[in-house]
Amino acid sequence: MMNIIGITACTAGIAHTYIAKEKLVNAAKELGHNVKIETQGTIGTEDELTKEDIEKADIVIIAADINIGGKERFKGKKVIDVPMQTAIKSPKTLIQKIEEKLRS
Amino acid sequence: MDVTDVINLNAIDLYLQVDDKKGAIEVLSELLFKDGSIRCKEEFINDVYLREAQGMTGIGDFIAIPHGKSDSVVKTCIAVGRVDKGIAWETIDDKPVKLIILFAVDNKSKNNLHVKLMAKVAGALANKTICEALLEAEEAKDVLSIFKQN
Repeated sequence: MMNIIGITACTAGIAHTYIAKEKLVNAAKELGHNVKIETQGTIGTEDELTKEDIEKADIVIIAADINIGGKERFKGKKVIDVPMQTAIKSPKTLIQKIEEKLRS
Repeated sequence: MDVTDVINLNAIDLYLQVDDKKGAIEVLSELLFKDGSIRCKEEFINDVYLREAQGMTGIGDFIAIPHGKSDSVVKTCIAVGRVDKGIAWETIDDKPVKLIILFAVDNKSKNNLHVKLMAKVAGALANKTICEALLEAEEAKDVLSIFKQN
């Protein structure tokens, strides 16, 4: 089991951000991981990652089409940047690939 | 307030008679205009295409989520349309689109409840069961109850 954290953000900050978040959360849970995803959208930042979340995290997934805020928080962490599209299209494959990577 | 407050019952057409993306956006925008949710159809459609130019709005499995953040929006809300046959659209899985969920967002609204509810609607679209139910819905009010169950 991994502790997965991440951030989603899209150009308009209205829809994709939230679909990607749910997709990542659903896929991670299905695969038996702990997960918390912060969203940076029109309505501001929600589910903001805490220091503790970040400390505990095994991997940080950033699924964004725009520059996200607060990237420096992840200094020293394993960070994987993916296009928004990947998180929406194949979240499970994405997480399975991360599993493999962390194992090897 | 819940998600059904942002889904505009007057702007749902599950039996759209259109052949393409342009037609679908046009008809849904017309419904929003008639309902008084947008001030100017042309301006709104321009803003929708502005967003289209920035990246794909087809999220896969026959669903597209075009959105217009526009000064012409009077009431932030969502229009829903469906085409039986499927129309060409820029999608992440190269499948055609049958269900169009059009987000009309007032340009000035930032941290408001309506946009938050829209985010909830968007999040619900990550759920396969909901997507399938929407593709099968028979009446406009079914669309509301599908989101309400979530």
